[in-house]
Amino acid sequence: MPKLTIDNLEVTVPEGINVLEAARELDIIIPHFCYHEALGSVGSCRLCAMMFVDGPVKGLQMACMIQAQDGMVVSSTDPDAIELREHVIEWAMTNHPHDCPVCDEGGECQLQEMTVAGGHGVRRYSGKKCTFTNQNLGPFVQQEMNRCITCYRCVRTYRDYCGGTDYGVFGSRNRIQYARFREGALESPFSGNIIDACPTGVLTSKPFRFKTRLWDLQEAPSICPHCSLGCATVPGGRYREVQRVKAGINRETNGFFICDRGRFGYDHVNHPERPRQGRLDGQPVTVNAALLAAREQVTAIASKHGPDSVAFLGSSRSSFEASVLLHDWAKATGSQQLVFEAHQGRDRAARTLTAQLGKHVRSQEELRQSDLVILFGADPLAEGPMLALAIRQAVRNGGKVVVIDPRPVELPCAASYLPLSPEKLPEVLVALGKKDFNAFEADERVLLESLVEQLKSAQRPVLIGGADLLGGKGVQALCAAAEKFTSDERSVGVITLLAGPNSYGGALLAGDGPDFDSILDAVQEGTVRALVCLESDPFREARDPARAHAALGHLELLVSFDSTPNLAAQRADIFLPTRANAEMAGSYVNNEGRLQAFMPVIDPGVPIRETGAGNHPPREFFQITPGSSPEADWLLLAGLLERELDLVGLRESIEKDHPPFAGLSSIAAETTGVRLTAQGTLPPAEEQELPHAADSEALTLMAITGQIGSCWLAHLSSPLAATEPQPYVILHPELAAELNLAADERARLTTHFGHCHIVIRTDEKMLKSLILVPQLWDTALEGMVPGGMLDCRLEKEAQR
Amino acid sequence: MNLWRDIKGTLQPFWITLGYLFKKPVTIQYPEEKRTPPPRYRARIVLTRNPDGTERCVACQLCSAACPVDCISMQAAEDGDGRRYAGWFRINFARCIFCGLCAEACPTMAIQTTPDYEICNRDLLKLVQEKEDLLIDGCGKDMEYNYYEHAGIGVANERGGNEDEYGPVDPKALVP
Repeated sequence: MPKLTIDNLEVTVPEGINVLEAARELDIIIPHFCYHEALGSVGSCRLCAMMFVDGPVKGLQMACMIQAQDGMVVSSTDPDAIELREHVIEWAMTNHPHDCPVCDEGGECQLQEMTVAGGHGVRRYSGKKCTFTNQNLGPFVQQEMNRCITCYRCVRTYRDYCGGTDYGVFGSRNRIQYARFREGALESPFSGNIIDACPTGVLTSKPFRFKTRLWDLQEAPSICPHCSLGCATVPGGRYREVQRVKAGINRETNGFFICDRGRFGYDHVNHPERPRQGRLDGQPVTVNAALLAAREQVTAIASKHGPDSVAFLGSSRSSFEASVLLHDWAKATGSQQLVFEAHQGRDRAARTLTAQLGKHVRSQEELRQSDLVILFGADPLAEGPMLALAIRQAVRNGGKVVVIDPRPVELPCAASYLPLSPEKLPEVLVALGKKDFNAFEADERVLLESLVEQLKSAQRPVLIGGADLLGGKGVQALCAAAEKFTSDERSVGVITLLAGPNSYGGALLAGDGPDFDSILDAVQEGTVRALVCLESDPFREARDPARAHAALGHLELLVSFDSTPNLAAQRADIFLPTRANAEMAGSYVNNEGRLQAFMPVIDPGVPIRETGAGNHPPREFFQITPGSSPEADWLLLAGLLERELDLVGLRESIEKDHPPFAGLSSIAAETTGVRLTAQGTLPPAEEQELPHAADSEALTLMAITGQIGSCWLAHLSSPLAATEPQPYVILHPELAAELNLAADERARLTTHFGHCHIVIRTDEKMLKSLILVPQLWDTALEGMVPGGMLDCRLEKEAQR
Repeated sequence: MNLWRDIKGTLQPFWITLGYLFKKPVTIQYPEEKRTPPPRYRARIVLTRNPDGTERCVACQLCSAACPVDCISMQAAEDGDGRRYAGWFRINFARCIFCGLCAEACPTMAIQTTPDYEICNRDLLKLVQEKEDLLIDGCGKDMEYNYYEHAGIGVANERGGNEDEYGPVDPKALVP
């Protein structure tokens, strides 16, 4: 622990950090452009100069390049250091255009701050400025190269940290340009991070272009609602709409960056068709009237037909508090029919994980330090993109990655691939434990045998699974394999990608209750007559939507709480509008059991963009904001159950009623969160397989989660619409050749849903015998719920 | 002697009042008579245009940030050529205190104060003025300035086409 003196203040800092960080410990901010905690030091901007007065290093040095050592005496206010900084700023400004008023970075521009701090007010250089040509970098990033100060942060973020390959640096001296070789959309699913990384206005957000200045933006620390990883975000809103999302900092989860789905998937909050009014039998009513009716009718059905005639369906995207209250409501009604996920496989995977994870739990930060990562049926870019970035950091730290998956799993780093069919995934996990690979082909055997050796010798191995493919059985096998390879010296970690931000929290509450498929059976039989949906859509999320449609038609009462225009909300007899994640306070439990709080950014209301039809706000004034009736999901349920109506009181009472959730009342936003020690219960046995017609000539079609714009909330977000693909299928080039198809050709896909037209994509990394189809909302592929297998036919489209 | 002081103190004000009866009054009979304020008087706020007739305002939000009573609101928008302009721009004159900080903050000389002080109204909504009410057909106090000709991001002129700029570089050129 070196002890050094900075500006006459003594500080003891951890080993290995640089002097710039050491000064930050003392709240002395040394100006810098190119240094970033996650990207490291390169010493290229020359701004963080400090005078090393005494100790092992002497003279004017760059603070980011010098490790803090014992006995150093450093001054940040030395006249030489200040003079150098002034010159560096003046120098950085020589080619900078005169466009701060029209630059989106204005107000949060590091260059602007440093220029003011450096005292550079009047331009002395009378020569001409260098100019550059801009590129159109796709729907997310806007480039204005003239503003560049060549700090290299974007390239270091995009190429080094995020593993993108299509953006780099060209030229030399004053012709340095950061660009793609040819103009086009940035390919990396983490491209938005260069917006945060750029210290000036070269790279700004295109969807946020010319929307708002930082000082007008309402911001609050939040948690991303798009996947189960629980990354920290900072959404910003103005004029009653969420306008952008920035990466938050949580060193245990996402670190400093987020994926494009989280960054540009905010627009579901402002969706024009979002239901904002309570509804009772088709008539708009106040939220209170709808709430009273819901309680009355649910109680009436429960007392008439017995408590089990009411089923409760929670969801992975409602807050943890609301999930607890739904559980309490079911308990108060006396109903056993409570489940937190409509998709059977995802539900069972989550519940199994909560029951068996135990000491194998790993955070994203621990994954970044891992030396062996094995993915079993997990596709991070689809199911939890930031995990792919954590895996890349593990590889950069010297780790190895093995992917065992039927899908062509894309990763931003090198990996070994073993394509195996989804049924074989649990088998391979069992076989790894037993070291018995007789059931596998010769080439598969070689890889698996070496994998056993690697698993034994690795110091910090992590096994990653995905809920879609593994299901309950697979997650159980994954945890068993981790247990098997755990030795006294080190334990094997497990990370499982679940369906949503609160999947883990829901699974903790679900206990050994029935899964949704058995509730559907009960609805079909007529024993369940009422269904309460909390921010879930059984019509689309159940593993077999056709069966859900048929069964749910028999319901006497459908109550829906939701913030999105989904089918359950449209068809509900009683509808209650809830707030979106950016509009309320609450908490989520991420896929490692980490309980994290989020804060409200804006209050709900129809965006001014909409009420003013794009022009100025209407010239009529009302007491009540239009569209402001949505309330937080937990507040509605607390009102219904006559519980505490404030979050602090509610959390305290939940903690009292449910001792395993200790720590709930003490969580705060903008922290690393609390890892819950509560353990879940295994779901009941017998996992039903989807009916699989035995047609030997048919091909097997497997539904998968598509990338970026394919989850429900992302689908409702217009900035991501540009990335939503045309319906497509992926198959192995050899299978494509057998079927006489080629990449980019149009073809006709026939399943029991009917016919649809799709584009062919091929990938050599995938399993030869499967055809993969993504679930794409509002297209013919909407019914392709991941985790299911179908028979299909694929024919070349007749030439016209 | 206090008596003398009291008599003087009683009569002198009357004398001064009497004197003003024969002087020219400073008050005028408004609204029959109207005074012309000096050109830099701070009253009605207007949005001016560039010498070429285009809107000067780039909706940079500096005036609304400087405004101590928050009476300015706007939304920026983008034109086809990348020009930033005010999609809508609203000043609530019922709130405005005519401090002129908005005009001082304006980097493009768009928002300017004028000597037109006759903007009272009993209907508050008529004091809420939109862009079409505020925009005038002239340059106001600066007849020359056109912000985009100096911005250096290729909106009014070609990229690299300003007087103080070299043309765009070719980063792929092999010349050292």
